[in-house]
Amino acid sequence: MTMTQSPSPPNSNDDKPQAVSAEVAQEANQAQQDVGAEAAKQSVPASVFVNSEPIREDQVSNAVKFLSHPKVRGSPVIYRRSFLERKGLTKEEIDEAFRRVPDPTSSSKPASLNQDGQAKSSSNVQTQAPIQTPQPVAVAPTGIASLEGRQFHWYHAVSAVGLLAASGCGTALLIKKVIIPKLKLWVRKVVLEEENDYAKKIDAKPSLAEEAAAAAKAAAAAASDVAKASQEMLNSKNEERRRFEEFMSLMDAQVQEMKSMSNSIRKLGGQASSSGRVFSDHDDHRVSASSTKQSYANGKVDVNVQLEGRSSTPPASAEPPHPKSYMEIMEMIQRGEKPSNIREVNDMPPNPNQPLSNPLIAPRTKVLQSQTSAEGLNQNGQDDGLNYLLDDESSTPWWQRKNVRITEIENEDEVKDTGPYGVRTNEQPPPPIQRTWVPPRPPPVAMPEAAEAIRRPKSTPKETATQEQSADGQSAAHPSEVTDELQRITKMSESVGALEMNGGFSTGNSAVIQEQENSYGEN
Amino acid sequence: MPVFKTPFNGYSVRFSPFYESRLAVATAQNFGILGNGRVHVIDLSPSSPVINELIAFDTADGVYDVAWSESHDSVLVAAVADGSMKVYDTALPPQANPVRSLKEHAREVHGLDYNPTRRDSFLSASWDDSVKLWTLDRPASLRTFREHAYCVYSVAWNPKHADVFASASGDCTVRIWDVREPGSTMIIPGHEHEILSCDWNKYDECLIATASVDKSIKIWDVRNYRVPVSALNGHGYAVRKIKFSPHRRNLLVSCSYDMTVCLWDFMVEDALVGRYDHHTEFAVGVDLSVLVDGLMASTGWDELVYVWQQGMDPRTA
Repeated sequence: MTMTQSPSPPNSNDDKPQAVSAEVAQEANQAQQDVGAEAAKQSVPASVFVNSEPIREDQVSNAVKFLSHPKVRGSPVIYRRSFLERKGLTKEEIDEAFRRVPDPTSSSKPASLNQDGQAKSSSNVQTQAPIQTPQPVAVAPTGIASLEGRQFHWYHAVSAVGLLAASGCGTALLIKKVIIPKLKLWVRKVVLEEENDYAKKIDAKPSLAEEAAAAAKAAAAAASDVAKASQEMLNSKNEERRRFEEFMSLMDAQVQEMKSMSNSIRKLGGQASSSGRVFSDHDDHRVSASSTKQSYANGKVDVNVQLEGRSSTPPASAEPPHPKSYMEIMEMIQRGEKPSNIREVNDMPPNPNQPLSNPLIAPRTKVLQSQTSAEGLNQNGQDDGLNYLLDDESSTPWWQRKNVRITEIENEDEVKDTGPYGVRTNEQPPPPIQRTWVPPRPPPVAMPEAAEAIRRPKSTPKETATQEQSADGQSAAHPSEVTDELQRITKMSESVGALEMNGGFSTGNSAVIQEQENSYGEN
Repeated sequence: MPVFKTPFNGYSVRFSPFYESRLAVATAQNFGILGNGRVHVIDLSPSSPVINELIAFDTADGVYDVAWSESHDSVLVAAVADGSMKVYDTALPPQANPVRSLKEHAREVHGLDYNPTRRDSFLSASWDDSVKLWTLDRPASLRTFREHAYCVYSVAWNPKHADVFASASGDCTVRIWDVREPGSTMIIPGHEHEILSCDWNKYDECLIATASVDKSIKIWDVRNYRVPVSALNGHGYAVRKIKFSPHRRNLLVSCSYDMTVCLWDFMVEDALVGRYDHHTEFAVGVDLSVLVDGLMASTGWDELVYVWQQGMDPRTA
């Protein structure tokens, strides 16, 4: 059976009584949709081991910024994920951030720069006919455009901005100083020619003058265009500067994050090789450079395998003092020597298909309070989980005895406990052997069906078999029944809440179970 | 209280779920850096405070963890530093052991946990960043859970939900998984440093404790995992292993590189309720008996295994 709601963890691990109603609702296919919401509410408590938080947008956007950083892009994906996990992001948030990270070739900054370059070069082309100097200006934008393919560093932005400013000013100056005087000279020449040829070319003069005037106008228009272009350039430069500032602030934030990341990595870092045994967690033994190191620069892990021995890494906190012989052995390993006390041991199984021996006793009945309401249906009635290895029960073993102090503490503890303790009694100094924590009766012999139970979790229940407190023969005789019982019990615990227990369970115990279940239900 | 001396440095100790007086100890030579390993199965003598060795198995590489089968009283699994796991059956003659060698991990297997509910499967946590699910009857793993970015140090089955488990990793996160789901269902970025151990509360299946290199133990409720329920400080160095009591709801035990074993009650303001400093080297393994209330065991790099009752001094005879 499947859940209809989207955070759909299988609720078959729910063995609370509440699950009964959820299960029933599910099996009614038509009603499933209607009670979907109800069932969701009822079954969500069952799957507490799943994240049910919604995706937090702020976390995702931070993660996207982190992932867009060029240095982060160079690191292996698993380290990026590990970093984000350590920052507390859930799987869904991390996946969403990975989905959102843009393609490296289309990041915003080089694109905008490219556009500016194109705009400049097009405006310069207009004025290129009468003026030849804008060529260097055209070169500069195209040169900048060629940067698009490379990594965009901030100093590129600065130099681009500077180039643009310089070329703009240069163009303006050139126009003022060179072009206009040339124009003036040219106009004067034309005027002189006019005077000389006035008599001859009276008709031509006006046209010449007109042409000159037109040319002057065109030149003036061109000059104004150039002025406009340079003005635009200045504006775009300002805009670029602004964007650059924004980008710088983002970069700063990311640099901070990268720093913290590298710090934490460094703390873990200096770690050993793939074949070295790493006491990476806490030993502060400084292993010399010949041994393995892990450097996390740029998110890459370099693992150098030099030795077969183990090397350890500095812990984050202070170093625990190592035994002297430990240091000696580490140094020996670093020198390449092998400690002399190692011998060749063949620990391979002589017969890999050796069947396991039949178990002598079935698993002990150990009562775990209230928890066993679901699973401890397997309370064995006869309750001789007292299969002692020893025969002399006349004197209780030394490990059973507790001193008075402990009993007092126990009583205090008892007071604090909220749940019922079921069968436990603490007052008597050798406490009864009725014990503690019990999982359900399992099959003594592992059968394929048991493995099935793992592979196909929602297995169908099979026959119930009474689990006798078995002598050796019996356990061998009922392997399949016991296995089936396991499945049945597991299923029961999931679905029914362990209410139907038959046979083999003493009424006293089942009453206890009921009581525990009730109390558990209250919890 | 009895003491057992191991020839190699201790790494892990586990009580048998079948026999009150039986324990398994994982040891590794040369502090686990390089060398052989050995698994000891030891018995407490009921009348006198003496520990006897039932049998020991040698391995080619150090043994980092050991777990008893919940289905067979004589079967135990050992996590070996060469990436394999060995299955031993103490009811078979020694020359028939190990009965299985399960080798799939690319790096050291650091943690093991046997499913106490289904009783037929177990998990292995490895330094190759993955967790694998196994059963005794199949030579290959059933599932591989690969999401951690660094070594997985510890796995723990949820005591109530048979398909849910948690893994603690050096990537500073604890992940909750469901074997029926392809990926992890929850990520708890519990500490700023590596998380070495995790364990579920045996009475409240939503509470999980994590122990970290940052010397603290934090208790989390998975229903509200952004903020810890409680933070237990008091250890002087990294906390190596923690275990919730199967008998007390609020009690948990921890062992640390500060050579002490501490008892905590996390619902109380002054959480530290007991401290045992019997070890003279790193205390790396600790366990509480499921069958006997208050019985605890610890082992450390000082090659000693102590078994004592809570409230008593482990070093008294």
